[in-house]
Amino acid sequence: MLEIKNLHVKLADEDRMILKGLSLNVPKGEVHAIMGPNGSGKSTLAYVLAGRDGYEVTDGDILWNGESIIDMEPDERAAKGVFLAFQYPMEIPGVAGLTFLRTALNSVRKKRGEAELTTPAFMKLVKEKGQKLNIDIEMLKRPVNVGFSGGEKKRSEILQMALLEPTLCVLDETDSGLDIDALRIVSEGVNALRDKDRAFVVITHYQRLLNYIVPDKVHVLADGRIQKTGGKELALELEKSGYAEYTHKAA
Amino acid sequence: MNVAVMKTKAEQAISENFEAVAEKLPGSEAVKARRAEAIGAFSGLGLPHRRIEEWKYTDIRANVKEIFPSAIHDAARITIAELIVALGPLAHVDAHRIVFVNGHHRFELGDLANAEGFKVAALGEILASASEDVSAALATTPEGGDAVEALNTAFMTDGAVVTVAEGVTVAKPLMIVFVRAGAHAHSVTVRNSLMVGKNASADVIEAHVVLPGASADAQLNTLTEVTVAKGAMLIHAKVAVDDGKALHLSNCDVTLDADATYRSFQFSTGLGLARNGLNVIFEGEGSKIDLSGAYLARHSEHIDTTLVVDHAVPRCESRELFKGVLDGHGRGVFQGKIIVRPDAQKTDGKQMSQALMLSEDAEFDSKPELEIYADDVVCGHGTTVAELDADLLFYCRSRGIPEKEARALMIESFIGEAIEKVDNEQLRDALAAYAMQWLGRSVRG
Repeated sequence: MLEIKNLHVKLADEDRMILKGLSLNVPKGEVHAIMGPNGSGKSTLAYVLAGRDGYEVTDGDILWNGESIIDMEPDERAAKGVFLAFQYPMEIPGVAGLTFLRTALNSVRKKRGEAELTTPAFMKLVKEKGQKLNIDIEMLKRPVNVGFSGGEKKRSEILQMALLEPTLCVLDETDSGLDIDALRIVSEGVNALRDKDRAFVVITHYQRLLNYIVPDKVHVLADGRIQKTGGKELALELEKSGYAEYTHKAA
Repeated sequence: MNVAVMKTKAEQAISENFEAVAEKLPGSEAVKARRAEAIGAFSGLGLPHRRIEEWKYTDIRANVKEIFPSAIHDAARITIAELIVALGPLAHVDAHRIVFVNGHHRFELGDLANAEGFKVAALGEILASASEDVSAALATTPEGGDAVEALNTAFMTDGAVVTVAEGVTVAKPLMIVFVRAGAHAHSVTVRNSLMVGKNASADVIEAHVVLPGASADAQLNTLTEVTVAKGAMLIHAKVAVDDGKALHLSNCDVTLDADATYRSFQFSTGLGLARNGLNVIFEGEGSKIDLSGAYLARHSEHIDTTLVVDHAVPRCESRELFKGVLDGHGRGVFQGKIIVRPDAQKTDGKQMSQALMLSEDAEFDSKPELEIYADDVVCGHGTTVAELDADLLFYCRSRGIPEKEARALMIESFIGEAIEKVDNEQLRDALAAYAMQWLGRSVRG
């Protein structure tokens, strides 16, 4: 289970607080959506979960499977099963997709005490997982994400997720920049990974994504705190009435 | 002139050195006369220093305090097994080889038996033979005003004289190997000549390597003269790998006739103080060059790449991409001059120089110079200096890749973009292996 306890976060080089006592529990096997207006702290939450530099946790804690992760390096968290699907996946010129995937996969396998995969075993795995996401090997021989369309980049994120087999999947605005077809492929990829041992935090501004990835719970994040929690119908409500009520309450 | 300027200790040592070895250097009376003329020219010029514009960032006079004795012929013996060790990753590149140790041809280490298409001779033998070829070998002696090239003429002992006859396409590359060995401090001076005949095509790799255990105190002066005839193509790679202290003064002077192609790649690592000069003159229309390179410097290493591309005629194309990785107090210098003469219409020139800084103490000096006298041309240049991208580093680490490995992966990706320019796959792999070795010691360690 993911337990976020009274989390206070600010930018390392600014005094302004972004998360102001955020508390949230996401049990294994559940998908929780975090919705909120721009500037509410959604992306900060995603980055802080993954361990990006530049943020300072001033109070509170994040526990994953009962263990605090806030002092762990990003790669240690990845080995513990944390995965962040980026809103804007990075391009890495000069590094072939296959090289990147293999380096990442073998790094986490090593840390998890598993044997590194042989080349044939790795290729077989990539082919199999890639097929479901419409990603062929030729695409992965190219440098990571370079020249990819928005949809291709998001599919490539989900392929990384499928290969690394994380137990805590954080999706940051995965629907942004996707047309309906790409949204369906990406969502199917995510849904295929849903199981009783995996927790999902789906961060989104719009309800649209939640038609495809149906959440167990929806939380409204505004002004650095969870303002309301409900079922999937809360997302529909928000779609109708907007976030005004919460930003007002926050102010 | 600098005649009145006081000579440094090193400059004096060079003159004394010449007196000591002049009689032992190969060559007929005519060659001896050329050498004397050259050392005279050097005396007037002195070692290049920062007040000469082309040497502003690479002050040889200030940095070279001592001149080592010229390497002796008899000391230069190594075994084939040692050659393979010295070649390292380059040993896996399938090529005919001609081998020189400390500037002296070692026939027994070479493999030229089936080097069909290449006519290969050792300069030392040609100089000593006093034949007509000698004048041919020296006719183009180009040192006008350049002290380093003058020293090359004065002291050159040996090198490869390579000819590819008209219309011949050579499939397998020729590797000219210069190994440095021996426990004593030494200086070596070599010269090569590569002549590719009309419509011929060839691939030459020039490798400067060191046998482990050799003295760290070493000085090399190397000059390669290249002529590519009409419609011909030469792919020329120069690889210089040493153990961190050596002085490496290198020049490559290239002349292209019409519709010719010259593709060059220069790889340098482990050089204490290096100057890689590359001078290209287009003499015939419709020719193309691609000059690229990669270098890695750390500690106090200093690697200078200085290009002069002279578009003297219309419709020629030049492309340049150089990438350097600088760690510690490592310093990279890039000077790229493109001259487009008034008649050289339709010239297409593009130049890019990029440095990746791994330390706050590293330094990169870049000086692109475009001298354009024609009006219908497309010319551009760019320079970038960057540190490792923090966002990219986080992206890699969030995928479970540990920091050191993520850094190495990103450095590989940076330098890999330049190495991709190498046409020969085996050579590309060898250079990537050198880069990995460097990363193993400097970043992953």
